Amino acid sequence: MTGLERNDLRLGFIALNDAAPLIVAKERGFFEAEGLRVDLAREASWANIRDKVAAGVLDGGHMLGPMTLAATMGVGGERTPMTVPLSLNLNGSAVTVSKGLADALRAIDPEGMSGHPKSARPLARLIEARRTAGDRPVTLAVVFPFSMHNYELRYWLAAAGIDPDRDIRMVVVPPPRMAEKLKAGEIDGFCVTAPWNALAVEDGDGEILIYASELWRVGPDKVFGVTRSWADDHPAALSAVIRALLKAAAWADASGNRAELAAMISAPPYVSAPETVVRQSLVGSPPYVKGTSGSSSLDYLIYHRYAASFPWKSHALWFLTQMLRWGQIGPEIDIRAVADAVYRPDLFRAAARELGEPAPLIDEKVEGGRAGPWVLSEATAPIDMAPDLFIDGRVFDPADPLAYAAGFEIGRFRPETV
Amino acid sequence: MRVLIIDPDEARAALVAQGLSGIEPLEVRRSAAFNQAESAAFGPDVVVIACDSPDRDTLESLRESNVDNPRPVVMFVDKSAPGLAEAAVSAGVAAYVVDGLQAGRVRPVLEVAMSRFELMQKLRTDLSKAQADLAARKDIERAKGLLMKERGIDEDAAFRVLRKLAMDTGRPLGAVAADLLAFAGVLKGGGA
Repeated sequence: MTGLERNDLRLGFIALNDAAPLIVAKERGFFEAEGLRVDLAREASWANIRDKVAAGVLDGGHMLGPMTLAATMGVGGERTPMTVPLSLNLNGSAVTVSKGLADALRAIDPEGMSGHPKSARPLARLIEARRTAGDRPVTLAVVFPFSMHNYELRYWLAAAGIDPDRDIRMVVVPPPRMAEKLKAGEIDGFCVTAPWNALAVEDGDGEILIYASELWRVGPDKVFGVTRSWADDHPAALSAVIRALLKAAAWADASGNRAELAAMISAPPYVSAPETVVRQSLVGSPPYVKGTSGSSSLDYLIYHRYAASFPWKSHALWFLTQMLRWGQIGPEIDIRAVADAVYRPDLFRAAARELGEPAPLIDEKVEGGRAGPWVLSEATAPIDMAPDLFIDGRVFDPADPLAYAAGFEIGRFRPETV
Repeated sequence: MRVLIIDPDEARAALVAQGLSGIEPLEVRRSAAFNQAESAAFGPDVVVIACDSPDRDTLESLRESNVDNPRPVVMFVDKSAPGLAEAAVSAGVAAYVVDGLQAGRVRPVLEVAMSRFELMQKLRTDLSKAQADLAARKDIERAKGLLMKERGIDEDAAFRVLRKLAMDTGRPLGAVAADLLAFAGVLKGGGA
């Protein structure tokens, strides 16, 4: 096809269910239909994807939303301005703890451990009891410092009065090592994306306490990212990638395709996990406990419905409020400018228009506060949206992110100390 | 200086360790995976890690010092050698250093690691090419034998048949020979 600055692209991904839009775009020919020949490179770490994209070894890839913001600010590594023209998914992760910890939680707070969604209150009680007894602290793992998993786990813990920096040990463990470290007792629990929670349950070593979709009904997670200079130099190729990924996300999100999707992405070059386990997080929600059955809701992991592919600036701003909250960045950073520079709904809209696909006409929205389904009318065509409540009922108004970041009882951001 | 090498590829780690032996007094440890307790006990000044190890993300989280992590580390970027970190990542290796360590002392370590990673990559490529060549030669010998037997021709004539097939189809001689053997297997009912 003519008109693209580049036809051959190399894109990186991590072995997770939310890499699906990239895999589907290649396997179902959506990249090819846009004139792109794409090589998908399975990478061993998020740092690899970040650095290889920064160095031009990869053209772009599957990224953690917060990682693109951190790289742009030069926080936690060298400064490389990034561009995010599309989100890959909403939800998809969960908090899983070891069988042993789950039993201890039931013993100390049977009521708190019955029903869903679970708060971290049983864990708060256990931490207190262990502290009194002088036992070792509970250790929980996430996949990267700048990740939804880190913020979502901290949000859940802090909502029950647990200070993640003082009351527990937080460590970073790569996804494929989570299950083995849980089994070995090196960690007591983790927050990671599908399929690794379902795998720990299936192996009988873990129990899922809460899904991401219970913590925040439609929370952001992974994105497609390139460097800003790549985006500037390849506008037509980037638009072609967005169109292919949008078609792929729509295909992946259709209920009739979810079983086929599981077979496609579980194969060795991709997620490389048992198909039965990968499928559990796609045709519904995985079981909390081995031997039970998960729910049939497809909202455990959303690829396209509810404007999921749109790079909402309110998502970027929410991530930035959590970076402030936990002291990863300071008040000197203009978070509005960072969100505006990285998340590019304008690029999404241009690509969606060429496909005749509905796109939001607003760049950000209030997150939280909607208990039922609603319709986004500020769009090129009305879009059905899902409830968007947070577990604690808090509402994020992107018009005043600093007040939100400062408003948590547990947190490091106190603007009056500036 | 203490250097910790994290590499799931034992042979490559050994090659790097050997390469480092010429550098100023240093102590080298090797491990297939990163273990924070073992690392804290060793107290490395530099951690050299293979990019195909997923443990890079754990190192990324050790920028903050705490009880478990008394010596925070950062990815090594030498401001006086722009592009070095990128070249290292391209070579498949990254270095993390105790914050504040002089770049001049770390650069030779990273350069040795990069050169050994590239050497290993070349050795592996050469080896797989040699193996493929050997397999192709065996296929060609067997295909010639088959043609000689089935057509009653001599070895030179059998080779000419194969060579013509290869030229007509624009494919390597070894691939044509392998196809011929596979078809013969099917015709004999031996499966594909």
